[in-house]
Amino acid sequence: MSKDIMKVRNIGISAHIDSGKTTLTERILYYTKRIHAIHDVKGKDGVGATMDSMELEKERGITIASAATFCEWDGHEVNIIDTPGHVDFTVEVERSLRVLDGAVLVLCSVGGVQSQSITVDQQMKRYRVPCIAFINKCDRSGANPDRVIAQLKSKLGHNAVAMQVPIGLESTHQGVVDLVTMKALYFDGEKGEVIRIEAIPEQLQTEAKEKRELLIDAASMFSDELTDAILEERDIAPELLLNAVRRGTLLRQITPVYMGSAYKNKGVQPLLDAVTEILPSPREVTNEALDMKQGETSVPLESDATKPTVALAFKLEDGAYGQLTYIRVYQGTVAKGATVVNARTGKKLKIGRVVRMHADQMEDINAIPAGYIGALFGIDCASGDTFVSPGLNLTMTSMYVPEPVISLAIVPKDNKAQINMSKALNRFTKEDPTFKTYVDEETNETIIEGMGELHLEVYVERMKREYDAEVSTGNPRVAYRETITQRADFNYTHKKQTGGAGQFGRVAGYMEPAGEGDFEFVNEITGGTIPTQYIPACEKGFRACLKKGPRMEYPVTGIRVVINDGQAHSVDSSDMAFQAAAMGAFKEVYSKAKPVIHEPVMKVVVETPTVFQGAVMGLLNQRRGMIVGAQDEGVMCVIEAQVPLAEMFGFSTILRSSTQGQAQFTMEFSQYRQVPQSIAEELIAEAAKQKKTAVA
Amino acid sequence: MLKNDLILRNPLRLMGKTTDEILHEGGFGAVLSRAGVGKTALVVQLALDSMLREKNVLHISLQDPIEKVTLWYRELFQNLITEYNAEQIHDLWDRILPCRFIMTFKIAGFSVPKLEERLADLTEQNIFTPSMIIIDGFSFSESELSQLPGLKELAERCRIRLWFTVPVHRDETFGPDGFPVRLAETADLFDVALALKPADTEIRIEAPKSGEPDIPDTGIFLDPATMLIKDRH
Repeated sequence: MSKDIMKVRNIGISAHIDSGKTTLTERILYYTKRIHAIHDVKGKDGVGATMDSMELEKERGITIASAATFCEWDGHEVNIIDTPGHVDFTVEVERSLRVLDGAVLVLCSVGGVQSQSITVDQQMKRYRVPCIAFINKCDRSGANPDRVIAQLKSKLGHNAVAMQVPIGLESTHQGVVDLVTMKALYFDGEKGEVIRIEAIPEQLQTEAKEKRELLIDAASMFSDELTDAILEERDIAPELLLNAVRRGTLLRQITPVYMGSAYKNKGVQPLLDAVTEILPSPREVTNEALDMKQGETSVPLESDATKPTVALAFKLEDGAYGQLTYIRVYQGTVAKGATVVNARTGKKLKIGRVVRMHADQMEDINAIPAGYIGALFGIDCASGDTFVSPGLNLTMTSMYVPEPVISLAIVPKDNKAQINMSKALNRFTKEDPTFKTYVDEETNETIIEGMGELHLEVYVERMKREYDAEVSTGNPRVAYRETITQRADFNYTHKKQTGGAGQFGRVAGYMEPAGEGDFEFVNEITGGTIPTQYIPACEKGFRACLKKGPRMEYPVTGIRVVINDGQAHSVDSSDMAFQAAAMGAFKEVYSKAKPVIHEPVMKVVVETPTVFQGAVMGLLNQRRGMIVGAQDEGVMCVIEAQVPLAEMFGFSTILRSSTQGQAQFTMEFSQYRQVPQSIAEELIAEAAKQKKTAVA
Repeated sequence: MLKNDLILRNPLRLMGKTTDEILHEGGFGAVLSRAGVGKTALVVQLALDSMLREKNVLHISLQDPIEKVTLWYRELFQNLITEYNAEQIHDLWDRILPCRFIMTFKIAGFSVPKLEERLADLTEQNIFTPSMIIIDGFSFSESELSQLPGLKELAERCRIRLWFTVPVHRDETFGPDGFPVRLAETADLFDVALALKPADTEIRIEAPKSGEPDIPDTGIFLDPATMLIKDRH
């Protein structure tokens, strides 16, 4: 393993589904000699691309789990995380971006900037990941890199600037003109491995000159030296131009755009050059941890292998030899035989096998120094855990993890499936923080929760394939919530005298909507009307009521309870009595505070040919969708809407049939919103019916 | 504070009318200013005022994507409720949002037949029927001017109030109606013109052309800090 941290690149390849990012990764691995044969994503040879290591991914032609791999190019070590393209798996993308220093945003030259690219771009912004763009599929009919560059500017707000000009498009795509060196690059040989450098073809001279001017103009903003060279009309050296572009890229103020066709083996090597020349090394990126001793204040980390260790476990996988934990080391070194502490649990761990991953193959190494990505065996931890040297009390910033919005009951087919199912669930919940599971106490069913229908479907299928756990599933259930809409006062006395010690407690105060946050308990008791030792019992009593609303049985959120008066008895008052009093008060006051039901509302973005625009808007409208807007993109249009999750089941099938399979959509959680009265009544009636059945 | 108070506190009332009455049904309104002065901020506030009164607004942007237009609305609404201490209006944003529909076109892709087709998609399925349309980013270049009569006919037929943002240039000469001389021929199509004039630390809102003859100086301005419409008192 090289020790020169400046020659390390940790990059992600992010894009919309079907932009060809897995094919691109495959080509990168081929040219960097990590693999010796090229397989396609949906390969006729039945092997599948190297990065798609899960069987299910191979079958569906999509990447689900991000496989980490490394390769070498031009004396640089490049660690690549192949990220999933479907929005249902964005937690994977988010986690990958958290540990990356730079990214390649792959765009389809025909489809351009699609809705998922927008989501991924927002994630890159959140983690301030510098990126370069690669416009893939220039060999496809309808390829138009200029349009994609314009979309990068208009839709994503990038200061996108072409670094290349394509030589031919669609079936005549032969190579690219490099605007930095002003040379034409052709990709010869059976797999495009031989680069032929020639003069720019006559017909592209003018275009290349014009685009180079634009490039120099954009880059000059980041280099005084370059500006001087322009003003003095000197020749501009390639290094000078590249350095200026690099500076702009690291500031996220410029996005260099490369192009080609991974499938046709064109333009991949110049992209690799760009990764090493433009994207940052770990030392050029500022990373911070939180000091738990100092009230979580930020502490800068240094990419120095000799400092105390700070590493983040960003992904877990269940391999043939046990749990494989992918880590990024931010500071210090994680070495075989060393002892680290899991900052979350405080447990000491001894590092066993340390490996470097190449999709599902691995290579044993002795240590992972700062700035590198690698994997550990035999470490018991959860995704997102921080490992530190003993004595350090740092944690990496917690990653943004959204709450699940959908649940599904699963029932194992037999006893064997039951055992395997628990193993699978244990693994999945550790791997994916947005996937949760619990056993419903009333129905005794196992419930899985996640971020969308497809998210849960994939896990059910993985249970079957990877763990041989056949399960049947119930109907998906939406995670409704209850809250109150107005203030209401309570004054409740719990009194029981049934022989022996009695129970007595009175609590008074009010309940009101709290806006943000789930629950707030405020103690405004003065004069000791409720003795201090019973206050926690009061809070506990109120909290116990939040799990299930008294009327509709959904979790209650957004409530502030204030107690300001009460009464205790010197003999009969106890924790239990005050807990019961709080519960009684909650039940008494809840209906007076006008409770309502809230439902998860999803941001749905549909891309459809313009001819189906009306039909698609109709479909969304029928589903209680509120259409935010429609963006006309020429032949295609993008419709953005807010639709309740409850109405989105089976939408993909209906959308497909209404648009001759030409429209696609993405969906992500947006917010909780109050359900309309008519729907609320239906839900209440259903809850009452279920209660009745349960009693019977 | 009630929603109605928020509506009544709108300084546009100082023009002696509600937004609706500034422009009659089927009328054309123009907000003129140089680039970056606040045309979009002003039309978005006209739109918000309508939305608060539960009147549907179709916002057509020929320059910005949906997200950017949404951001304008969010920011100005936030500024508005902060300015008038109206935070306690529970879920007001969620309640007025269904009254807005954003459409974006590329300038080259925008035409009257296309707009009519999109409007039909919305109205025939009962998805959205606008009572006001805002067209932001119409360039008023010679090639585009030919679309104005068609738009006027559409506005009259559908009884829609149609507001445009009109970009003007520093060195242009203006007619008495506030329109640049180069637009003199089409100026007659417009019933109302509001001009934004930067002056010292504020942006004055003038009404060189108005439905009423007696409102040359509206006495209102845009606060450059919040871009909110304010009055001098």
